[in-house]
Amino acid sequence: MFAHLRRSLARHRAGYLFILPCLLVTTVFFIVPLLMTVWMSFNHWPLLGSSSFIGFKNYLDLLSDESFWGSIAFTLKYTLVVTPAIFLVAFGLALLVNRSVRFVGLFRTAYFLPVVIGMTTASLLWTWMFNDQVGIFSAVLMDLGVIDEPVQWLGETNSALASILVMVLWKASGFTMVILLVGMQAIPHDLYEAACLDGASWWSQIRHITIPLMRRTFALALTMSLIGSFLAFEQFFVMTRGGPFNSTITVVHWIYRASFTYFKLGYGAAMSVVLLLILLAISGLQMYLLRDDHE
Amino acid sequence: MKNNFVLKKLLGGLTASLLSLSVYAQANQELSFWIRASDAGFVEPMVKVWNAKHPNKVVLTVIPNDDFVTKFGTAVAGGAAPDVVALDLIFVPTFAQAGQLSDMTPEAGALPFAKSLSPSHVRLAQYGGKQYAVPFSAESSVLLYNKALFKRAGLDPQKPPKTMGEIEAAAKKITALGGGVKGFYFSGACGGCNIFTMTPYVWASGGDVLSADGKSEVLDNPALRNTLSMYRRMWTDGLIPRGAKTDNGSNFISPFFTGKVGMVGTGAFAIGLLKKEHPEIDFGITPLPGDKGGSSSFAGGDSIAIPAASKHKKEAWEFIKWALSEEVQVEQFAKNGSIPVRSDLADNAYSKQDPRFAMASAAMQAGRTPYSVHFNQLINDANGPWLAMIQEAVFGKGVDAAIKDAQPRFRKILTTP
Repeated sequence: MFAHLRRSLARHRAGYLFILPCLLVTTVFFIVPLLMTVWMSFNHWPLLGSSSFIGFKNYLDLLSDESFWGSIAFTLKYTLVVTPAIFLVAFGLALLVNRSVRFVGLFRTAYFLPVVIGMTTASLLWTWMFNDQVGIFSAVLMDLGVIDEPVQWLGETNSALASILVMVLWKASGFTMVILLVGMQAIPHDLYEAACLDGASWWSQIRHITIPLMRRTFALALTMSLIGSFLAFEQFFVMTRGGPFNSTITVVHWIYRASFTYFKLGYGAAMSVVLLLILLAISGLQMYLLRDDHE
Repeated sequence: MKNNFVLKKLLGGLTASLLSLSVYAQANQELSFWIRASDAGFVEPMVKVWNAKHPNKVVLTVIPNDDFVTKFGTAVAGGAAPDVVALDLIFVPTFAQAGQLSDMTPEAGALPFAKSLSPSHVRLAQYGGKQYAVPFSAESSVLLYNKALFKRAGLDPQKPPKTMGEIEAAAKKITALGGGVKGFYFSGACGGCNIFTMTPYVWASGGDVLSADGKSEVLDNPALRNTLSMYRRMWTDGLIPRGAKTDNGSNFISPFFTGKVGMVGTGAFAIGLLKKEHPEIDFGITPLPGDKGGSSSFAGGDSIAIPAASKHKKEAWEFIKWALSEEVQVEQFAKNGSIPVRSDLADNAYSKQDPRFAMASAAMQAGRTPYSVHFNQLINDANGPWLAMIQEAVFGKGVDAAIKDAQPRFRKILTTP
């Protein structure tokens, strides 16, 4: 077996050398921390003081931790709302900018621009815009006579969630748009020409050519967006701090609290491992559902 | 060959400069000093004075208030603790229990003014019979009121409320002025703000939040019920600006600056701030009252300590001694509108100029401070049980349900070792 490995190494030396830097980075910054996290999750590991091995206790505690499951439920709800929303907006935008009209480059850049801003910065910006005293939304709606007094956008659970949804749509749609745009442009142009000759309308071209041929791109875009939504933290941490009434605490926020407010790093690590497993399961299911039947 | 020579020269130069750096460092130590953002106003000028006079320079790092415990805790765990730290007195037990602060019992006891140091600070600086910090800055909670609005509402500005009922009645009259004027304000999404400004009503009415030893909750008492009910009534009657619900403390005092808020519980720091930045507002301060009179205050502020991992403990202690001197406590702190932590300095040239400072000083001496190693999780955590209780009681399900929900959550945290 080792002889085989040695032969393979010798034959593909250049190839292995090429992937070495990537392998090193992945090992140091992903695999090692991941193993450490798993190890920590089996320990009572306070931020201050010494740690001790406790087996599965953190995981058993997790089972009865209603707040943790509550945060998972909220995160699921958020993900189920935000992922399709981003996808639909991004698909619409991609259709709009996938044409050779004037200034199309400008539009593509404009839609992509919010992606470049950090999530924390964007959250702070929108917190100010949603503010009832100095924010623009309440002021404009009041000037238009739609509302009589300023609205506490972040003060009620549903309006807080909706406000964050609007912010995230603005922030993240551009990224999914670019992925979808690349997929769209990979579709051979003659298919559309042939469809045109057969008298297919714009909508039936999208339905029968664009959408079926973009399944893999859809799978990629949806998976990335879903994972991103499930790991949401900054927007909630900055805009609502988990309020009102602790109704907007995401699972990553809960991990942060366990680790850095309660100083229980081992417990936080156990939550992280559970989250990783949940994400693996969801992504696996998604890949299976969106698999390419022709392969 | 040539390259080799250049490399050697470079290395030689580097070694020489490193050597000279370390010699410099031995002669003039650099002391790292961490504070929370709310202290920056009076600590920055103080550090400037120290650095101008002493060879050991102090390098100041200012940390956002809400992140202080997390940042300091993480730094300590990562071996990057500063040489000196000024932290909210309330958190000293937490870090002392974790063995992260240096024992300064002999040094603190030898201070000539040891007996006149703020008793609340000293009590919270002790853990297991040893002292881990000394007082640094003092802050007592008081009720701040707008005299002009009192006059307009037909109230006597010389006779501020003496009971909780009078506060509510005054808030009603002031709100009735209309034009966006509201009677009362509080930061409804800030746990730390409310332990500071709300619990004094509870204390003055004979109740409490935690037992004296800080080991159990005593939430089920009429004084807390009455206080929360008063807040709830004022909220539902529209006597409080709507923004209060989501204010995480960033607007702790600013609504009062607009001149459209009648009363707000706040710290003595507001006196200096208002005099300096809003001389147009005619304000008074009065103790936070109980339901049938009496008064109380949260004796807060910062304690100063030396992290166990500090490499410059001797120099750090020199700096701390200086921070407690008359030069700092009077000529820096009192001059800029805060209260000295030494009662022997309470009566100073600056406090005499404004009776409001003497009132804040008296509140400090008589004030109370809860003691708990779980303070951050219970009280300051934005998602913790104390704030959840206030939010549910004032804006949500109601007082009884809120207290009932909070009790097991308090107990769960308090029973964690």
